Amino acid sequence: MSIAVRDLVHIYHPGSPLQTRALDGVTFEAEKGSWVAVVGHTGSGKSTLAQHLNGLLLPTEGSVSVDGIQVRHGEGSLRLVRQKVGLVFQYPEQQLFEETVFKEVSFGPRNWGFQADHLEKSVEEALELVGIGRDLYEASPFRLSGGQKRRVAIASTLSSDPDYLVMDEPTAGLDSPGRRQLLGLLSDLKKLGKGIIHITHDMELALGLADTILVLDEGKSTLWGPPGVILGELLERDIRGLVIPDLVRFAGRLRDLGFEVPLTWEPKALAEAIGRSHGR
Amino acid sequence: MKFLNNMTLGQYVPVESPVHHLDPRCKIVAVLFCLVGIFMVRGPLGFTMWGLFFLALVGASRIPARLVLSTVKPVWILVAFTAAIHLFFTGGEPVFSWGILEVTREGVVMAARMGLRLMLLIMFAGLLTLTTSPTELADGLESLFSPFRRFGFPSHELAMMMTIALRFIPTLLNETERIMKAQIARGAELERGGPLKRLRAFIPVLVPLFVIVFQRADDLATAMEARNYTGGEGRTRMNPLQWTTGDSAAFAFSLLFSFAAVFLDGRVTLP
Repeated sequence: MSIAVRDLVHIYHPGSPLQTRALDGVTFEAEKGSWVAVVGHTGSGKSTLAQHLNGLLLPTEGSVSVDGIQVRHGEGSLRLVRQKVGLVFQYPEQQLFEETVFKEVSFGPRNWGFQADHLEKSVEEALELVGIGRDLYEASPFRLSGGQKRRVAIASTLSSDPDYLVMDEPTAGLDSPGRRQLLGLLSDLKKLGKGIIHITHDMELALGLADTILVLDEGKSTLWGPPGVILGELLERDIRGLVIPDLVRFAGRLRDLGFEVPLTWEPKALAEAIGRSHGR
Repeated sequence: MKFLNNMTLGQYVPVESPVHHLDPRCKIVAVLFCLVGIFMVRGPLGFTMWGLFFLALVGASRIPARLVLSTVKPVWILVAFTAAIHLFFTGGEPVFSWGILEVTREGVVMAARMGLRLMLLIMFAGLLTLTTSPTELADGLESLFSPFRRFGFPSHELAMMMTIALRFIPTLLNETERIMKAQIARGAELERGGPLKRLRAFIPVLVPLFVIVFQRADDLATAMEARNYTGGEGRTRMNPLQWTTGDSAAFAFSLLFSFAAVFLDGRVTLP
């Protein structure tokens, strides 16, 4: 079970002066129960890619399939795919519109035709996952704090019980406890067997959390693999607009100087390796 | 999926040309005279003159002819409809009939006249917006209406509102598209069912959009106040409008041309 993207090309406004090749050959696969981070600089095509994964945009060339279902027009495949793949846009709190939190979160499941008790159960589960208590069920989403709004918005996607969750910069604009809480939620969802596709520009975040990293540059998938595997090449290639964590640079520099340390993004691993080379 | 990506509003094309460099006040008033002139010609000579004048203007403005023609696109149905009405419903000497529809000689003349007139009107007005940026237009209008300030007419405020509104159209279109996509991702069906159902389906798009609009308006007001904006009184400009001899010449020429076209057209009777 996976989302499979093959040689995906997307051209905006084809045939007009505004024609742009936003995606130019992207191939990767995101399995259920794994965390894929899509990393790239602004304008590298991250958000365009995200919108292909649930059929909001359709490929100009190449293909996208979700659990074997081709993402294309007709035969209701788009609706099926959209239910399987939940997409949370950047600043999702801006999509809130209902009178109460409960109604807001039931918007999705209601659209997918969940039956009454099933609907209620999935809404409650989703709100519990994001840590919104029962006392807020009847509150207006517009009266919540910024962090709560974001969590309600995420719950409104979770309540449709998607198999995959595509998150476009979910931590943008959150303070550090909010960030930690949200990333914890994503880890929990992964443990529940959902596939997480995390779109971010933050390489440090991706290295620490993802099982596999896809690096996008100018609409092309330039690197694809587990963090440990792509790290060496990442340091060597120095892809434009990507900030490589200082610690990785530091480890790389130490290796250049002939120290026997691993290339890593974890302070502990690096410290231990340095300690060992000094006989401690 | 077709979203709102083919909207062109305020379709200013920034190229270097003598027409672009004219003072916006000159262009606005000259176009008004031309529009009146186009309305007043009836015969082939008048339309030919206006057509040639228009071609010369397009040439001087260095705007691709395709873009100029596209200004008619949103209203071509109206043009065709008007022409068709005149074609079939003008009484006179029949030249052709098809069922109950009858085409008269007078009808053909009227249809051609109305069609050409509308096309020219739209294209002249279109050329104004193609060669004048929205800011320039607003500045020009503000300056033209400023004599009425003493009667309490808020010319500066109107111009400022117009500039801000135009500035925010693309932004709000982007926001709308983003919210539409976010709701579709949550299973909303925006394009199904009858008009009432569709209207209801748009509530999840309209409510967030209103929230965003008010937020943006609030932010903008704060930002303007933080920069000490207090209205038009005593305000200077970065690019003050400057009326040059070139403007006088262009203005005088279009004025004379309008009179000439109407006058000469009146002298030549229809065959």
